[in-house]
Amino acid sequence: MTAILGFLRGSWTISVYTWREGMRKKTLIGFLILSILVIFGSSFMTAFLAQTTVGAGEEEINIETKLIKDICVTAISIFGVLIAIFISASVVPTEVENKVVYTVLSKPVSRFQYLLGKFVGAQLIIIINLALMGGLFFVALYAKERIMPTLLLWAVLLTYFEFLVVSAFTFAVSCTATSAVLPTIAGLFIYITGNLTEYLKDVYNRAGQTGQWFDEMIGQIAYGLYQILPNLQNFSMKNQILYLQPNDPPRDVQIPNLIAYGLVYAVAGYIIAYWVFRRKEL
Amino acid sequence: MSVVIETHDLTKIYEGAFKAQDVHAVQDLNLQVQAGEIFGYLGPNGSGKTTTIKMILGLIFPSAGAIEILGRKDYRSPSVRKQIGYLPEGAYYPDFLRGEEVLRFYGHLYGLGGADLRQRIDNVIETVGLTYARARLIRGYSKGMRQRIGLAQALLSDPDILILDEPTTGLDPIARKEIRDILAGLRDQGKTLLISSHELLEVELISNRVGILSEGVLQVSGTLDQLLTERDVVIEVDASNRQAIAKLNAAGVETEDTVDDKARMRIPGTVALYDALEICKAESAILISVAPRRETLEELFVRIIGAAEGATQEGPKE
Repeated sequence: MTAILGFLRGSWTISVYTWREGMRKKTLIGFLILSILVIFGSSFMTAFLAQTTVGAGEEEINIETKLIKDICVTAISIFGVLIAIFISASVVPTEVENKVVYTVLSKPVSRFQYLLGKFVGAQLIIIINLALMGGLFFVALYAKERIMPTLLLWAVLLTYFEFLVVSAFTFAVSCTATSAVLPTIAGLFIYITGNLTEYLKDVYNRAGQTGQWFDEMIGQIAYGLYQILPNLQNFSMKNQILYLQPNDPPRDVQIPNLIAYGLVYAVAGYIIAYWVFRRKEL
Repeated sequence: MSVVIETHDLTKIYEGAFKAQDVHAVQDLNLQVQAGEIFGYLGPNGSGKTTTIKMILGLIFPSAGAIEILGRKDYRSPSVRKQIGYLPEGAYYPDFLRGEEVLRFYGHLYGLGGADLRQRIDNVIETVGLTYARARLIRGYSKGMRQRIGLAQALLSDPDILILDEPTTGLDPIARKEIRDILAGLRDQGKTLLISSHELLEVELISNRVGILSEGVLQVSGTLDQLLTERDVVIEVDASNRQAIAKLNAAGVETEDTVDDKARMRIPGTVALYDALEICKAESAILISVAPRRETLEELFVRIIGAAEGATQEGPKE
């Protein structure tokens, strides 16, 4: 029990340090300020638009509100994932570069403990930034509609698990790298690919129409990738945010299943990171 | 005296894409550091000093050979690492933290906390002479202060062994002297210090034993008395007597320099002192001083490294 507590304490110390240092990174602060400006700006911008509604009854949508929602959801997705990628790509390579890792790993700290601390620290940064952006969106939406936008809370929760998956794989790549450049590019690639996996299924469905062997092979590869790669679209509740009432319950999403889905990919990413880092020459 | 750090045929090869591109950073290194001594680990850039230290600390993995620390082969285990304090060369300490916060962070990594950690922080801060700046942000620290906070973090667990990589490089003479005094004090407390350095004078002043590494191979190792065996005599004569100086040079006495009409001349071991003095007498040269001199560590270093590099350039004899 004491050993477990000691293990967790060491990791938590590294997490808190990572979080404190990460929150001071200028790039991250820049992304956060931009996202806040966009979220505030959306409310300001729509104030000049005429009140317009489309549809009728339950389907009636206020265009002005929809625009705010659209801008805010997009801003949170873009800036949130940039923050997640940037921080996950840099927490380990930066410490290798400035030699902090030497002073830490020469203490009675295992590489597993160190990585866990860095990963959890990166998650703290991502969660706090997401909470800030989501909180602002929440306030903006509440101010506009005077209804508690509880649906948004579910959307933000799922968005975090989407970021967690991207972050875990970016972190794994960062453990192989000596600078943050390659893992940042890899993170963007993971995010884009993860959002396009439905197209892979489409490729599989269309494959084999020419009857040629390579056509079949491409179909099988696309299917294999579809099965392996995380489908980040699963985490998106953008359409529900745009078209449902702010206090509606989430529809057609199994939130516990999605959380489990995200966690499985995150654990896989972390295991890859550790597998790479445990024999890394520092 | 017991051995606290020991390596057996320790080898590190950084593998390239092809065998010919392999870099043999350390080769068959057999090193012994005794308890309670300061061991100066010397060598030019790229000689394998930092690679050895990183292997000892488990930051990189040996290609062959073994390491024992405090008699234990599981030198990477947490219980062994608790006994080692490490100061890397040019390490960074977060600017946004205060001196004592940096130490608290490292203390938590040792599993320390509460009153015990506070007490230890007080002690190490006092040892390195940073009490006055403990509450200052690191960004306001000078290079010497950063080095001292680095030394403090290495001392936090009150380790038996201290491994210091270039502890005085880049410091001004006063800061260097202060660090040197701290290190000597630690040795007097019974701690074992392995110091890798380019500052040969510093090492000579405080080390009990030294090892000189060149191209990954330990060339010599021993106490300064064992290694600095070459002794010669330095005489100072009136520089205006050019004929006497020419005759001394012809006899093998080397002129080191001439300052204020005094020529300082080294009589190597191959020339008898009395022969040189006889020349001075015959030429009526004014003899200002005669003093014995031991070879310096710098001279030994240059001699050893020169010989090692010469041997490498000649290549293996058929």
